Amino acid sequence: MSGGYDDELTRPLEGALEASTSEGPTSPAVGRDEWVARHGDNRTGRGGRIGKLEERLRVVPWWAWLATFVALFCLVPVVSDSGYVRRVAFDIAIYMLLALGLNVVVGWGGLLDLGYIAFFGIGAYAYALLSSDHYGVHLPSFVSIPLVVVIGATVGFLVGLPSRRLTGDYLAIVTLFFLQLFLTVTTNGDDLFGHNVTGGANGILNADPLSLFGHELPPTLEGGLFNPAYMYVVLAVFVVVYVALRFVNLSRTGRAWRSLREDPLAAEVMGMPVNSLKLMSFAFGAAIAALSGTFVTALSGSVFPLSFSFGILIIIYTMVILGGSGSQPGVVLGAVLIGILLELLRDPGDSRVLFYSAILVGVVAIYRFSVRLAVIVGGTLVFGIVVHSIAGAIDNGWVNGSGGEGGGVADFAANWVIVPVQLADWVAPVSYCLLVALALVLTLVHGWARIALLIPVLYLAAFVWENVMISQPEPTRYIILGVILIGLMIFRPTGILGEKRVEII
Amino acid sequence: MDTFIQLTLNGLTLGSVYALIALGYSLVYGILKLLNFAHGDVFMVGTFIGFGALQLLGGTTNPVVPAWALLALITLAAMAGCAVLGVVIERFAYRPLRDAPRIAPLISALGVSFFIAYSMQLLFGSELRSYDMFSLSGGALYTDGFDIGNVRVPMIRIITILAAFVMMILLWLLVTRTRVGKAMRATSFDREAAAMMGIDIDKVIVFAFVLGSALAGAAGVLFALRIPTYATIGFLIGLKGFTAAVIGGIGSIPGAMAGGLVLGFAESYAQGYISTRWSDLLVFILLILFLVFRPQGILGKADIRKV
Amino acid sequence: MKRRGGIMLASAVTVAASLASTAGAGSNAVASSQAINCNSKLKIAIVAPFTGGAGFLGNEQLSWAKYAVKTLSSKYGLKIKLVTGDTPVEQGPAIAQTIAQKFIADKTVVAVLGPSTSGNVAASSQAFFQAGLAHISPSATRTSLTKGASKEATSAFFRVVPGDYIQGPTDANFMIKQGAKNVVLFDFQEPYSQGLASAAETVLKAKGVTTTRQSVANTVTDFSSFVTKVPSSADFVFFPTQKPADAQNFAQQLLEQGKKAKVFGGDGSNDASAFKVPGSFVSNFAPDISGFAYNKSIIAGWQKDNPKDTLGSFGPPAYLSTQVALNAIKKACDAGKGQIKDRRDVVRNVKKIVVKNSILGGDFRFSTKSNDPLNAKFYIFQIQSNGSYKLVG
Repeated sequence: MSGGYDDELTRPLEGALEASTSEGPTSPAVGRDEWVARHGDNRTGRGGRIGKLEERLRVVPWWAWLATFVALFCLVPVVSDSGYVRRVAFDIAIYMLLALGLNVVVGWGGLLDLGYIAFFGIGAYAYALLSSDHYGVHLPSFVSIPLVVVIGATVGFLVGLPSRRLTGDYLAIVTLFFLQLFLTVTTNGDDLFGHNVTGGANGILNADPLSLFGHELPPTLEGGLFNPAYMYVVLAVFVVVYVALRFVNLSRTGRAWRSLREDPLAAEVMGMPVNSLKLMSFAFGAAIAALSGTFVTALSGSVFPLSFSFGILIIIYTMVILGGSGSQPGVVLGAVLIGILLELLRDPGDSRVLFYSAILVGVVAIYRFSVRLAVIVGGTLVFGIVVHSIAGAIDNGWVNGSGGEGGGVADFAANWVIVPVQLADWVAPVSYCLLVALALVLTLVHGWARIALLIPVLYLAAFVWENVMISQPEPTRYIILGVILIGLMIFRPTGILGEKRVEII
Repeated sequence: MDTFIQLTLNGLTLGSVYALIALGYSLVYGILKLLNFAHGDVFMVGTFIGFGALQLLGGTTNPVVPAWALLALITLAAMAGCAVLGVVIERFAYRPLRDAPRIAPLISALGVSFFIAYSMQLLFGSELRSYDMFSLSGGALYTDGFDIGNVRVPMIRIITILAAFVMMILLWLLVTRTRVGKAMRATSFDREAAAMMGIDIDKVIVFAFVLGSALAGAAGVLFALRIPTYATIGFLIGLKGFTAAVIGGIGSIPGAMAGGLVLGFAESYAQGYISTRWSDLLVFILLILFLVFRPQGILGKADIRKV
Repeated sequence: MKRRGGIMLASAVTVAASLASTAGAGSNAVASSQAINCNSKLKIAIVAPFTGGAGFLGNEQLSWAKYAVKTLSSKYGLKIKLVTGDTPVEQGPAIAQTIAQKFIADKTVVAVLGPSTSGNVAASSQAFFQAGLAHISPSATRTSLTKGASKEATSAFFRVVPGDYIQGPTDANFMIKQGAKNVVLFDFQEPYSQGLASAAETVLKAKGVTTTRQSVANTVTDFSSFVTKVPSSADFVFFPTQKPADAQNFAQQLLEQGKKAKVFGGDGSNDASAFKVPGSFVSNFAPDISGFAYNKSIIAGWQKDNPKDTLGSFGPPAYLSTQVALNAIKKACDAGKGQIKDRRDVVRNVKKIVVKNSILGGDFRFSTKSNDPLNAKFYIFQIQSNGSYKLVG
């Protein structure tokens, strides 16, 4: 142990619970000093070539990662001239911004804010009120956008005020109710004491597009294609926000946040202004969300209350938690991954590819390259072929449903998975519930029993996916997000790039 | 005056359902200190199980059993189904997270909530499902009943209110008079001490989920007797049920009952006397005020954290 | 503090995701040539909510559009593939723009059916117009899309059903003819019902009828207290819901609380299996289509393909939209001698289309002044004691 600390300080207290970790003597545990453990220079790494690669990657400076990422992102409109792909890139950039903001509140401040999307909506509406025909006010973008950011921060501050004294779950509920409040006010805002403030359910239309240095950026180019300039603007803003937040995190405020979320009581005792810190993280998060809202309004030229529902909140939360709350590169990665996932789900051909790739990646990740992996993959293929032939032999109508478009993978699917021509009513619910039940049983068995059960479960999953889920992207996306959230919390709460933390209660 | 009576009746009917849901929240929160976001969706599943059972028994137009038996059977089916669902949720989504930071089971609960709601939508579509109790026995449930002044109190509302109250009383008796109830109260007071006294914590927690979910299932059937249901109703109704639990004092059983009724009346009077448009808003503001100024609710005790 | 698995896992997942997405992006490749050969497989896109709260609407329209493509494309000598874009209402109108981009990018898409909801039309019409894509909606009825000082939709937008500016006054005038003196109007805080209720309210007020307006959140299903607020002297409750089960529930609660007002549902509550309280009214933009002899085989064919579905009011307009689209594509192909040089050719041909003996009854043509149907009417039905709908106005 480096640092010259007395052993007394690092030995677990008498009777303290040992946190179960598989990592080694320097990992954090209840009763031990997390700061010391973290800064002890011991680190277990992997051996071999992967280990060396990891070490090399670890020393790459953060700005190099950021620059590479931004460069790759900018290449997207160059590589593809499809308005659709560029529009998706824009959507993902917005998600990245939102994820950064939520990271400040949840990851750095440790506050479970379930009303975050309300700030997104407030930013969108504020921009619409400041730059549209609604009140006839047409502030240029470089005035209205900073104004909206200030408004967002103020509202975040005000919402945070009553929440200072609330503990985790109560705060979650208050913020959730604030979101409901926001939705109710905007939906009914066309009659606030006789004034039409928010346009009600019809929203506010004819919002101004962005104007940079006097030039107006039209949302669509010739031929109706999406204007990639919007994507570049959001990307630039993202870089600024990312860098700014990083410096905030490395400053006194960032360190204060870290101490606050590690142990609020100790922080208070040490004299940290706990309430101000909470308010600050709220305000920061709200400001960033409001900023994202302006771009969305500017692009679509309109704002409606329906766009800010709870569903979007779950999407952003999954992005943050998947990537690793508390880690900026993590949440950005999470945003990109989930964003791509959601878009792929929209198209049946893409969904199919996504499904099979995900299964393969998952199985490889769990079983690595081993005999068991070969057994699983081979076994599933064989199982499928056998079952498919039997079903086809019994009744042709059971397997002749079309696989749909998508080329090679679709043909494979049509010949391997049972796709009936007509699906009887009871098949979908029964097979789905069976799949869920068997998947839960899978978590209970181990060893070869697990592998033996895994093979039919994988086939059943392919069946359910092909026949039930692929054609309904909307519920499917939330089902997948829900499963990801549950799985992450149980198996890897720190997400992909997050920092392991111990809550000392 | 008639309006007042009718609105009170509405509030009572609605409030009883909210109270049943709030009880489920309170039971679980009392022991686990966990806000079970998925509870509202368990309620929704109850409405669907009741609907399915109703179809199996011939529907309201051609029931194979007499009306009373029909209602009792679908309620029992919903209670049983939801109890199973609650146990499964606890076992797989909450138990692994029992020693994790408090934010983890909350997020897991969110995930479960979305999973259940959208699985239902995937399998059964998003249309409204109506029990169509109007067709049962030629509309008897609506035409039988008694009058208070000019206001008719139809059988269907009487059933709802009575059934809810009976269940609440039974639950209260169970919690206060039986050994299991005592074990539950002990666990909610101090989990570690209870474990040291030999109480099987896992069983107690499972039992709390069984009770809470069964009540949610019953609430589901009682609700859907009069009101069409759909796959994503769980979120909003769950939110209202949770509001009721907090207003009454979360962790307290009489509190949940009181909170449910208060919320039912508040909503009903706000819609009737103030404005239909803004009634939801008023309810939300009411809750926020409660949470900020009196988080322990009406009947709860202030939570003193020992440092 | 370890990030042991972190970086490698992150890289692995990123690589996998990019591979998957390039596979996905491949299927959205832009066709390189400008002119499209009419002998190749052309695509018609349908943009509607297939999942989510309004999924029933989109799915009904989809089943009829599929049927139309199946039975009519060969009649026009075209090979058509129907592609779908799901716009769940919960995701707001922004998704309509993303879906629009998807179909704009795919040059083999020559016409669009929909968007089904007025908000989505307003959000995406500009993009469609600039891309030269005709979008023919079977259900977007908001008045301000085609009328008013600032029209929300462009000249590439067409609709085959009359707008709210026809339905509202028709319903109101019917109620006045029935001697209504006191009417309660509901809206559900979304554009469809608000537009309809406002249109009807204006006409009623002008004729001296006492009106009250109640605005209810779209998610409410328990109407008890709203029913209580309906005055006992009210003759009608105008209830423009899109969920027939809600109309049924409301009518039952009116009876339960002893109110004499009759429920008047809009075209969204047309469903004899769900809304069947005797004495109530519904309105529809078509008379009973099964009453027309030439429709019998069409309906029978559709029913055979969709044995579990019942005949509703949202589907047949989708059939008509598809028919109009196919017609326009054919005309564009003929004009271009077997090729469509520009999708705008299709747009230019839509306006002049006449469909004789259309599925909605009578001949169909567009008005010269706007892209709305000419001489569109609304028909009022009353629910009889056996639950059937009878034409009364």
